[in-house]
Amino acid sequence: MESINKSDNNFEQCLKCTICTVYCPVLAVNPDFPGPKHGGPDQERLRLKMPSFYDEANKYCMNCKRCEVACPSNVRVGDIIQKAKLKYSRHKPSLRDFFLSHTDLVGTLSSPFAPIVNKVLSWDVTKQVMNTTIHVDKHRIFPEYSHEKFVSWLEKQAGEQKKFAHQLCYFHGCYVNYNFPQLGKDFVKVMNAFGYGVQLLEKEKCCGVALISNGFAGQARRQGEVNLRSIRKAVSENMPVVATSSTCTMTIRDEYPHILNLKNADVRDHVELATRFIYRMINESKDFDLSKLKFIQRGHPLKIAYHTPCHLEKLGWEYYSIELLRMIPDVEITVLKPNCCGIGGTYGFKKENYENAQKIGEPLFREIEEGGFDLVVSDCETCKWQIEMSTSKKCKHPITVFAEALTE
Amino acid sequence: MIFDTIIIGGGLSGLTCGIHLQKAGKRCVIISSGQSALHFSSGSFDLLNTLPDGRSVSDPVQSLDELQVQNPSHPYIKIGKTDFIRLAEKSQQLLTDASISVGGSYQRNHYRLTPFAITKPTWLTMTDYVSSDQPDSLPWKNVCLVHFTGYLDFHPDFFQGKFQELGIKVQNVELDLTKVSIRKNTPLEVRSTNIARLFDNEEALDNFVRLLAHKVGDADAVLLPACLGLERTNIVNILSRKLGVEVKLLATFPPTVSGIRAQYLLKQRFMQLGGTYMLGDTVNKVDFENNHISKIFTVNHGNIPLRGEEYVLCSGSFFSEGLVALPNDVVDPICELDVDYISDRKEWFASDVFDQQNYESFGIRTNETFHGIKNGQAISNLHVCGASLSAFNALKEGCGGGVSMLTALYVAEDILRQKENK
Amino acid sequence: MNEYDVIIIGGGATGAGTLRDCSMRGLRTVLIERSDIATGATGRNHGLLHSGARYAVTDQESARECISENQILRRIASHCVDETDGFFISLPDDDLSFQTKFVKSCQSAGIRADVIDPKEALVLEPSMNPAVTGAVRVPDGSIDPFRLTASNIRDAKTLGANVLTYHMVTELIRRQDAIVGVKILNVRTKETSELYAPIIVNACGIWGAHIAEMAGVKVSMFPAKGALLIYGHRVNKIVLNRCRKPSDADILVPGDTICLIGTTSTKVPFDTIDNMYVLPEEVEILRKGAQELSPILEKTRILRCYAGVRPLVASDNDPSGRSVSRGIVLFDHEKRDGLKGFITITGGKLMTYRLMAEQATDLVCTKLHIDKKCETATVKLPGSREDKETILKKLYSMPSAVQESMIYRHGEMAEKIATNNVVNNSLVCECEEVSYGEVSYAIDHMDVNNLIDLRRRTRLGMGTCQGEFCACRAIGILAKQKKIKPEKEKEELVTFLNERWKGIKPIAWGDSLRESQYASWVYESVCGLSKNNKDLTK
Repeated sequence: MESINKSDNNFEQCLKCTICTVYCPVLAVNPDFPGPKHGGPDQERLRLKMPSFYDEANKYCMNCKRCEVACPSNVRVGDIIQKAKLKYSRHKPSLRDFFLSHTDLVGTLSSPFAPIVNKVLSWDVTKQVMNTTIHVDKHRIFPEYSHEKFVSWLEKQAGEQKKFAHQLCYFHGCYVNYNFPQLGKDFVKVMNAFGYGVQLLEKEKCCGVALISNGFAGQARRQGEVNLRSIRKAVSENMPVVATSSTCTMTIRDEYPHILNLKNADVRDHVELATRFIYRMINESKDFDLSKLKFIQRGHPLKIAYHTPCHLEKLGWEYYSIELLRMIPDVEITVLKPNCCGIGGTYGFKKENYENAQKIGEPLFREIEEGGFDLVVSDCETCKWQIEMSTSKKCKHPITVFAEALTE
Repeated sequence: MIFDTIIIGGGLSGLTCGIHLQKAGKRCVIISSGQSALHFSSGSFDLLNTLPDGRSVSDPVQSLDELQVQNPSHPYIKIGKTDFIRLAEKSQQLLTDASISVGGSYQRNHYRLTPFAITKPTWLTMTDYVSSDQPDSLPWKNVCLVHFTGYLDFHPDFFQGKFQELGIKVQNVELDLTKVSIRKNTPLEVRSTNIARLFDNEEALDNFVRLLAHKVGDADAVLLPACLGLERTNIVNILSRKLGVEVKLLATFPPTVSGIRAQYLLKQRFMQLGGTYMLGDTVNKVDFENNHISKIFTVNHGNIPLRGEEYVLCSGSFFSEGLVALPNDVVDPICELDVDYISDRKEWFASDVFDQQNYESFGIRTNETFHGIKNGQAISNLHVCGASLSAFNALKEGCGGGVSMLTALYVAEDILRQKENK
Repeated sequence: MNEYDVIIIGGGATGAGTLRDCSMRGLRTVLIERSDIATGATGRNHGLLHSGARYAVTDQESARECISENQILRRIASHCVDETDGFFISLPDDDLSFQTKFVKSCQSAGIRADVIDPKEALVLEPSMNPAVTGAVRVPDGSIDPFRLTASNIRDAKTLGANVLTYHMVTELIRRQDAIVGVKILNVRTKETSELYAPIIVNACGIWGAHIAEMAGVKVSMFPAKGALLIYGHRVNKIVLNRCRKPSDADILVPGDTICLIGTTSTKVPFDTIDNMYVLPEEVEILRKGAQELSPILEKTRILRCYAGVRPLVASDNDPSGRSVSRGIVLFDHEKRDGLKGFITITGGKLMTYRLMAEQATDLVCTKLHIDKKCETATVKLPGSREDKETILKKLYSMPSAVQESMIYRHGEMAEKIATNNVVNNSLVCECEEVSYGEVSYAIDHMDVNNLIDLRRRTRLGMGTCQGEFCACRAIGILAKQKKIKPEKEKEELVTFLNERWKGIKPIAWGDSLRESQYASWVYESVCGLSKNNKDLTK
């Protein structure tokens, strides 16, 4: 039954119960942040009165959406704050913000020189310089760039991929393309094992999540329009669009219409996270023949800690990732407590946020270290960087774990 | 997604039902729009405090006969006295089993102190909290009442007044939390949850003890606002040991640490038993076939339906949108079941906000065994429990916690029985 | 001291304005008000700073008065005024030819009235009904009546005036053919006393009839009830009026964080004026009118409703009472009834209060042989004396939203409010951004005796939750500073919650009902508040 008596201005559903404020990871460590209830529904009324009421301290919002997950009134608190930031903030994005968020540009420039770039970024002196000049925190470890971009690799396989009876389009995202094509390769392996050939979208741009949170709404919208055009083309050719990054998925499905006013209702349901796609194929359409899958016999259990990325918690789809992992023999899965890792995408790279980012992630890091796990598994690339930097464990994508468990 | 039982609503009622079913080996999923009303609880659970005619209740079981006369449709009457006793005991056991340590008994109400220092009867109270068997009789002659600078959700003056009324000597100690914190940027925005997080840190706790120790004097007890014990559930015992004196908590204005903790522990227990909890999701389509539910759809899961053999609807009252009030109608937005309400909106309310408000008794109509009814027909695999039910007034009767838990257990047992019969 | 030059009865805008004017002209004045300031019609109207356009067609004199005062108030009370401008829109059901007559009448009354293309009007005000067929732009604005009244009172007090709120006049002391003083009762302490002055000004609005009766003279007034609804946020930026003959529910006024729709007009019996309730039929009329002006309001949350009583004074030359004076009514009872020392100033509207005060004070001065001219039209009220940029610089280190709120509400007085520290900057009312410092200041310096007074002066409790949380926090501060006993604090909360309920009950469905249920659970179930406030152990 459709919601009745709801105004278009969703903030009015807020009853001031303050539950969102209890679950906000930022407010737990940073008192300067107004908090989700206050920065969202409360201040929205004031902003409508006069734009000068916009509180720049809302920049501390990580856009983790945990407030929305907790809200009993279904108020889109995180969206309200993001929209307000874009509409009212007088803060001009800095050079650092530009480089952190324009991942396509930086990726394209860095990839050809990957070995050098990686070397330079790993030097302490580079980090000191970045710390002092553009305020990227010196503790932060940058993901390495790959010399061969994923798209280049997949283009070489195009012929082979076309041979599969079923086809899908892969929204690979910036991380897979410029930094970690291995995940893309794992995805292709898994999909092939299920009988699906993988293609690229006609044209893919960065989903834009970092552009949105750093104030580049115009650029985000332009990129979003390109992506939606490509997605529409794929859908018109009966190809589902599947992504491995939980954040890219959430951004295309929800941030596009809610924050950027890009209509996507016609294609939203065709954009899925890989683990959900697999689940659906196995359980609903019976298209996948499970008996065809052959797993490596490990002999001893692999103790996995599964970390739900914040954006995946918002999508409500961690269930599918966990079910995928359960299919693997000899695996012991512990679902970690619902705690944010603290990196918040580009948020944790910024010097002014670094300390807080680490404080936010502390309970998670502790649980990981104390659990005696062999491996941490998570669908979000920035969670991976954060966990690998802040704990002694490696963090892999569920698709990678699944791919590694399959025999060749 | 296929489950044995699908539970719509993840508050006290849903979790109670889910825990019981999981223990019996059923695969359950709980779907919850957001965090629950448990977050506003006081540290206590009420079974039955007042009869519909306003008379106080000291022994809930003894009062059931009179309740039957005054309101024969009450959920407790549907349950019946024998089951009432059995399920009340079971509810208490369930809480303890989930590591929520409570004191009290269904046989006799005891008394709690509200955040306004008003004495109220209740059924179960968390063991760290101030409570007494008799109204207005606390076991101390001399207490040290601690409060925190700038913490506006706690009123020491109310408690001071109450203790003085009871002839208890009060020593007021105001503590500045900036002296307790050990990190420069620790949030001192004084809310219960932030203070609780602060005290979860050992060093901060020791600083606190150090500051307080010489102020305790000859007090029989140290009383603190209930902003302790988010992660560390035994913190009050630890504090008591370190200070060498009894330490008890006084309820604060919501959202409360006790409520957050209770919700967390119940959810934890449910998941430990193998249950799946889907937070932040809302059911938006229910498919019926021949008087039973075949599958449901939710906002997050979109085109992947959830299928269960049995369904439990415990979506709460108006607050949680389990019931929705239009200008002249009250509806169940999820399953569109028949709702008991008055059609003239003028009759929903009384002029004095503290008088009985009829809307509090509105709810989903159910048959003798708590099955939901749609257009006059009972739905064979849909059970309703908790605040969504009609024919009781949680506020005026003081029976919210009891109805939530007892009806949840009743429904869970009914489901298990039905399965056996098949 | 109990001897004054003037005693003013009534603490609405008229009384406060007269208090200020008299004080500015050097008179020793005292104001007696049985409740808090602005609790009569002053606190229960549209908050509309009329351009006068609404009266232009039928009453040119009123219209001219309005536009003149409109311009004066923008100058002297800038911190109380929101210069929103206004539209008079025609919808498909309205006769467009009325617009022509309307514009001509405005122009002849000196009111700027520009005909705007409906498409352009929609761009300027997107919440407007898209079916709009005609639009005229006029200099309407909105005004905060509480702030306005409080500001007048503050100015008067700095000039030596005395203000006695929560004091009721029980008798007018008469000596032969003159009123020489009043007997008053302190409503809170029950103490009685007597005050004397050669002139008593009756500025009580509709209650003025009762005061006049006490004086032994007859003033025929008819209470006319008007109901209004407050919507949850500021949907429109510009005042929206219906361009047709004035009718019910045809003005949508943006004010501070909300917008409100009004009004209705029903004659009610005298014995109901102290207890006005909004009826479901009135709610329906208001909703319908609001949705016609702005369709989005169909789904917008309604926070509360309220009703006020207009004092309609019968024309003296028509004792049947059917003909009513529309404008300002000033009775010199010496001339009219042979009673010295007593005048009545009533009728009018909120925004002509200053003119009413001027007329009353002129009469007072004549009677007292004081030759001083009125300066209230030129001297700015406190709060409006410094520009925002200057004040902002002085408060720069406070959190920005707190700064903005304080300046918005108090103008340059914001500097005096509180030292900039963590406690004072912490928020008591989060919906309306009212800080601890502001609450503390209001309690100490603005004649605040209870939560409802506090609400009028700081907007605490006027936001979405209608005081759910902040009431509890504020009561603690009130107790701390006024040293109220714990039982009194609870009583105070019970009174506040019931006052709040009165306004919510008629619109309690949807989110407003959810909010009410939540508030009841917290206050009654968790905290244990009840009608009698006794422990539930008996």
